[in-house]
Amino acid sequence: MMKLATSAFALTAVLTSTAPAFADKSDDTLRVALAEEILSLDYLYTTKREYIILAQMTDATLFEVNPETAEYMPSVASGFTWIDETTLEVTLRDDVMFHDGTLLTADDVVYTYNWIVSEDSESSAKGAIERWLDTAEKTGPNTVQFNLTTVYPLVLRDMAQRVMLRKDGAYSVDGVINQDSMANSLIGAGPYMVESFEPGQELVLQRFENYFDVASPIENVVVRNLPDIGTQQAELMSGGIDWMFKVPLDLAQSLGATQMAEHLSGPDMRVGFLVLDAAGYTDPDGPLTNVMVRQAINHALNTAEMAQFLIGGSSEAIHTPCHPVQFGCTTDIAQYPYDPDQAKALLAEAGYPDGFPLELWAYRDKEVSEAIAADLTAVGIEVDLRYVKLASLNQARANREIPAYFGTWGSGGTADTAAIARVHFSDTSDRNLSGDAELTAAVLAAESTNDRAARAAHYDTALNIIADQAYWAPLFTYSANYLVSPDLNFPLSPDGLPRLDQASWN
Amino acid sequence: MLRYIFQRALLAVAVAFSVSLATFFLLNIATDPAYAIAGEDAEMEVVEQIRETYGLNRPVVVRYFDWLGGVVQGDFGESYYWKKPVAELVVERAPTTIKLALSALFVTIIVAIPLGAWAALNPNSWTDRFALGVAVSAQAVPNFWLGLIMIIVFAVTFPIFPVSGDSTWQHFVLPAFVLGASSVPAVMRLTRTGLIEVMESDYIRTARSKGYRGTALLTRHAMRNALLPVVSVLAVQLGQKFGGSVITESIFAINGLGRLALESILGSDIPTVQMLIFVFAIIFVAMNLLADILNAALDPRIRIT
Repeated sequence: MMKLATSAFALTAVLTSTAPAFADKSDDTLRVALAEEILSLDYLYTTKREYIILAQMTDATLFEVNPETAEYMPSVASGFTWIDETTLEVTLRDDVMFHDGTLLTADDVVYTYNWIVSEDSESSAKGAIERWLDTAEKTGPNTVQFNLTTVYPLVLRDMAQRVMLRKDGAYSVDGVINQDSMANSLIGAGPYMVESFEPGQELVLQRFENYFDVASPIENVVVRNLPDIGTQQAELMSGGIDWMFKVPLDLAQSLGATQMAEHLSGPDMRVGFLVLDAAGYTDPDGPLTNVMVRQAINHALNTAEMAQFLIGGSSEAIHTPCHPVQFGCTTDIAQYPYDPDQAKALLAEAGYPDGFPLELWAYRDKEVSEAIAADLTAVGIEVDLRYVKLASLNQARANREIPAYFGTWGSGGTADTAAIARVHFSDTSDRNLSGDAELTAAVLAAESTNDRAARAAHYDTALNIIADQAYWAPLFTYSANYLVSPDLNFPLSPDGLPRLDQASWN
Repeated sequence: MLRYIFQRALLAVAVAFSVSLATFFLLNIATDPAYAIAGEDAEMEVVEQIRETYGLNRPVVVRYFDWLGGVVQGDFGESYYWKKPVAELVVERAPTTIKLALSALFVTIIVAIPLGAWAALNPNSWTDRFALGVAVSAQAVPNFWLGLIMIIVFAVTFPIFPVSGDSTWQHFVLPAFVLGASSVPAVMRLTRTGLIEVMESDYIRTARSKGYRGTALLTRHAMRNALLPVVSVLAVQLGQKFGGSVITESIFAINGLGRLALESILGSDIPTVQMLIFVFAIIFVAMNLLADILNAALDPRIRIT
């Protein structure tokens, strides 16, 4: 109903608007809208995507990803040396300044990392970092040594994307630990500093003139929380905002066709897929435990049309359980082209000539969920589509009550198969419906060496198992849709992460 | 009267607790709040950590009584998202919603009562039909749709009012109209019916014979009695405005209790939802009580016992 109204809104708006008003760039202020309420500025205590976007503006990290090459480059670090496979020494720049004017030192870096893995931190980053970090210690005025508990190939990734640097003692106020001390009054070292912040309403950022790297082109950024997509569009049309994202394709196309806004569609690391209960958690003798049934499901799905018509933009059909640009994501694996007749034949061979009832769970992209259901119905599978809230799906999956679900994964923008493989195929993950110990071993082995060739070989093994056994039905890559003011030059990143600090005026 | 008020206050608390009990269990059975807090791409370690941090790994019954124990001591708990006491959140947001609800009620009054009077003075005429049509349309149109249309017309095409926000009085004009529209039919019809009835009464005939006509007759004699039931309905409508603010505040990005309620429900922020349900239930019962008291005060024939 809301979507219908929003579509009607877009159409009516396009038809009725006669005098579009554009954002005034004369005050050099970029105004952006986020639907998600921003309640904290501290990315060490949040996980959602919107917070990553903000943290890139306000925070500095030891390393940063080059979105073009997907390589991790020194940022606050000036260099690094692997002393051995579990000891990393990082040299720091000496010109990095926090927003309060103090210079960043080795003590700050040591404090940040040790704080995250400490008992008291309760940081959202703790789970990821304590997977590999034992301790961080200062070894010189500008050098920090990281002692790892195990070999872990994604250390630089975590340092670049998960750990925002904090001042020594940032979470201790008058000797009392306070995990929320940075939530409303952040002192970071990023290209923008916080001017004012009203949680859930508005965040005002000002360019930090002492930023150690290339200064951002735009002086001020105002982030407004606008929960309704229709309201965001109206603000864009009336000049109230210059940038909005997560725009549904049809709305982006209709408004982007006018002079009031520009529709940008860029790549996204997110992929969509169907996960099948091959292990038989919901029914030990169920049809999904039969590999031919799973292969039939793969053949039944018209992923190319889903990508082209339902996702649009740069979306493409995939046959891999990872994004093809991710390291280790070999495409040289079994494929199941769209072939409903082959699907029916496989179902008949598996002993289900008349199909079978299937409960299919989904939580987003209803059109895609319905297309999947329609394709499966066309080959005789009687689909009961359970479209629910994400939290409900997660809970049901944790209780092993889901025979099949339409899932997506963004990998946090990480161009490495590890970012999607472990969470879906480790033996402790409730997302792993394969029950395949050999597959799990291959996935974990790929994370226990720094040798890229060995890692690639492990992922080759893992991905071939997934494809041969048809544990998933991979669907498509996603596309990121933005609507921006015609005055704004917003560069799209290959990894799909919006980098507002790189935006400039036309 | 005091005894009656006391009984109704007890009823309000009982209603609030019953609703809170149902809400607490429904929310916990339907979803695991840890997943909602963690977000779409959260790994299991993060979910587990959230569960531990917020004590969500304890049995739901234990958590409910823990919450209840806090409530009887005046502690409604802390929001999972805002990391501050929910009572503080509600106190911060309440003035905005009160402002919106009163503005909406004002819109209802200035639209519905003249419309009702106009219809009553011309019963079964085209004006009566027109007034009725306007009222029914206002009720039939969903407020999220009406809100978006109002934005297109009065904020985008003709930029008279701001699209969203709540920092100036201009920000409240469109949302007040949207929120107030749904109450127009009830008030308009009641005004119309009451006036038609009153206009046929003996004392109006007497007033006419004394030479009163038009506005003077309407305002000095007819309206006073005709509006008696309207006053009590307005009190009830005011209570409904608080509940109705959920969608309106979200569309217009107004930071009141309604938007807080929606975000809390979507995010399974159970302590906040609990307190808001509590507050809304009490407001609703209080408004009903106010309606009864106003009725008794305005009409000496009614006695509350």
